[in-house]
Amino acid sequence: MAEILIKNLHKEFGTGADKVVALEDVNLSIGGHVFVSIVGPSGCGKSTLLNILSGIETPTSGTVAITQEGHDAAPGYVFQAARLLPWRTVMDNLLFVQSDRSPSTRERCQRYLEMVQLGDKGSKFPGELSGGMQQRVGIARAFSIEPDVLFMDEPFSHLDAITARSLRRELHDMWAQTGKTVVFVTHDIGEAIELSNRVLVFGKGGRLVDDIGVDLPFPRDAAHEDVALAKAAIYRRFEELDLLVS
Amino acid sequence: MAVPATVEDVSEGARTTEEELVRRARRRDLQVTWFWRILGYVTVLGLWEYASGRWMREQLLPAPTTVLETFGEIWRGGDMPAAFQATLSRIAVGFALSFVVGLAVGVLMQNRWLEGFFRDAVLIGITTPGLVWALITAIIFGNRTAGPLIAVVLTTFALITVNVHEGVKALPKDLIDMSKAFRVGLVKRNRQIVIPHLAPYIFTGVRFGFSIAWKIVVLTEVFASSSGIGFELRVAQQLFQLDVFLTWILAFYVLALFLEKVVLEQIERRFFRWRREVTAA
Amino acid sequence: MTSRGDEMAVPHDAGLVGTTPAPARRRWTDRRRMARRATRIARSPATARLLFPVAVLIFWVVSIDVIEGVWPFAVDVLPRPSEVRDFVWAELRSDTFAPYNVYETFWISLKRLAIGWLIAMGLGTAIGLAMGLSKGANAFFNDWVVAILAMPNLAWALFVSMAFGFGNSGPVICVVLTGIPFVIINVREGVRNTPRELFDMSRSFRVSPSRTTRHVLLPSLMPFMFAAARYAFALGWKGLVVAEVFGGRDGAGWTIKFWYDAHRAHGVVGYAFFFMAFAIIFEKVVFDNIAKRVFRWRPAATGVEVVEEVFETEAAPPAPALQGGR
Repeated sequence: MAEILIKNLHKEFGTGADKVVALEDVNLSIGGHVFVSIVGPSGCGKSTLLNILSGIETPTSGTVAITQEGHDAAPGYVFQAARLLPWRTVMDNLLFVQSDRSPSTRERCQRYLEMVQLGDKGSKFPGELSGGMQQRVGIARAFSIEPDVLFMDEPFSHLDAITARSLRRELHDMWAQTGKTVVFVTHDIGEAIELSNRVLVFGKGGRLVDDIGVDLPFPRDAAHEDVALAKAAIYRRFEELDLLVS
Repeated sequence: MAVPATVEDVSEGARTTEEELVRRARRRDLQVTWFWRILGYVTVLGLWEYASGRWMREQLLPAPTTVLETFGEIWRGGDMPAAFQATLSRIAVGFALSFVVGLAVGVLMQNRWLEGFFRDAVLIGITTPGLVWALITAIIFGNRTAGPLIAVVLTTFALITVNVHEGVKALPKDLIDMSKAFRVGLVKRNRQIVIPHLAPYIFTGVRFGFSIAWKIVVLTEVFASSSGIGFELRVAQQLFQLDVFLTWILAFYVLALFLEKVVLEQIERRFFRWRREVTAA
Repeated sequence: MTSRGDEMAVPHDAGLVGTTPAPARRRWTDRRRMARRATRIARSPATARLLFPVAVLIFWVVSIDVIEGVWPFAVDVLPRPSEVRDFVWAELRSDTFAPYNVYETFWISLKRLAIGWLIAMGLGTAIGLAMGLSKGANAFFNDWVVAILAMPNLAWALFVSMAFGFGNSGPVICVVLTGIPFVIINVREGVRNTPRELFDMSRSFRVSPSRTTRHVLLPSLMPFMFAAARYAFALGWKGLVVAEVFGGRDGAGWTIKFWYDAHRAHGVVGYAFFFMAFAIIFEKVVFDNIAKRVFRWRPAATGVEVVEEVFETEAAPPAPALQGGR
């Protein structure tokens, strides 16, 4: 089981007048087969946290360790925009991030494409697919390297409500089947409640302000009383925070 | 610095010194840029000066200083203004004609049928070397005025057409639809949306076209003309005076570059003040 | 110079594909369909394209008559279409007064162009990469790239002819000098426009640097390299022609000047047609086909075509319009 440990994490961008503090004194521990959502207003450092976790950016100070039974864990990443190589076919996009090109790897990629219902689209170019399909390729790519942890940065925010809804179901099923650790950034509280066991709330200035466990059975129907109550609780928390800030 | 009393003070103090750091970094950046730029000038001009008379005979590669001296002589001789005037007026008239033709064809090409009709004309206009037009017009028109003008139109109209056509294809449909929804009249719509949108495209065409136009005028003058820069070049070449030749071409080249980079760019900047804010932001 | 050569591929009889109409209405619909087809052919841009040379020919003949009738002193000579046709035909049969026939002539020039173009691409890519990656290199070269770009071919041509004599090296150097600024500028732009977000993606997936170079950096540079290749070829060609006029013993530029000096107007015009054919073969046949193969992943061009077909031809039924777009 993967283990994420964040200690005294601090990150700022720019210098002088342009200086922006993205994350301030974040301490966190995430482990096991959990689905963790990070919510908060825009500019609260959610995406920066993911970028640091995945190694795209380096922290200004503090430490981040992602381990799998003692050694470094391999992360998968699903971005807000799919970030596919437009000049490679769907299958080649999956193969691009693999460590080898053996027939078994190919087979695995094909299996994950089928899992996102794109089994027949392997030879298409990304430009020939709709936005929802591209995002599904991005999800298949992240799963296809069989990562120990999976980072997702608002992966459904560019999609229409109906596509997003069906992709959320697919994502939940894949998470349930594969038993990964998922860290999921979103600004949609409903989405967070629908998918996760644990919701981290970030406030302005990149501070971790709340850590809420969501212990409800799946699938979670938005109309169900408990789900609605959990959502309302987080909204209430936000309102309190807003009062604190202003 | 004294020990800061409050949290506010820490950030304030940090900010000013960091601003200073940024300013210093920027200044250093500018210094580095200028250092390399000047080094570039020194290297090229130095190599040229050194090569003349050493790697190549001085007749073949007159040094920059020789060219400057020759320029002084020709300038005192008094032929230069007349030659410049002849060539510049040909460029002005020819390019004005070319602009009208290019713009008209570009606008007509909005229509799909006419686009098909003019497509090969534009392709030929872009791909055929200007020299070919210069020779054809020279053999047909001899040293009459029409020759260089027609050669300029044939070589440059397509550049303007292509840019206008690109602009027309990229017309902001959303803004036009918006103005239709607000019942904005046709004249106002054209003035406020279509023309401001097309202007940068036209300008690109003009700058690109001008850079070709002056060269083609000089080339036609080399073949068939009894005045202008090209004529002077032909005389210098026939007398095998490479320093005179280089001086003429460099003098005109500097003038053309000045028109292209300074005058046209200045006009463009004045025209598109609204675009500068975008880049500044 | 976008690749919009697809209209030619639209099948005009595609309207026949569809459901079979009831027998009683067949004749009426047939006639109507034929009339529709006729107007569609007349209105199609492909027809307009074919009409263009016809219009030029008519203009040519009429203007000869008008000028000779009204104002004969406006011109020295006016080559007639028939003379030019005879000249072109004779040249194509290798029946010529010039030292080399048209095939040999263009082959000589093409070889020079290819060598100069390769040198320009290699050298230009190296300098462009340096300028894109380093501010210092950019400052060092920038003004001189602009200066070389703005220098007329004529100056290069005369200079190299005097410096290197009447051989191959003069024209080749002229090709390099005219082509190289475009390569440098395009490669620099390519380096500056590399897709950062894709590099981030590769990094987060721990893809090796060599793999990232091959699959992200090089493909992202491709459009710029391709534009560079195309410009350098087209402009290098123009530079070569001028160099051959002033400093050649043979080649396409020298031969058109040969007809000019021989005062054969029909020879000059005939050779101009060869020039157009040569350029069009390279632009439209060679480069467009390479572009189609290299940029298969770009759906935008064909996508736009489809939209235009659907919205602008009211008469056409939707099915063939979509077929045309592929």
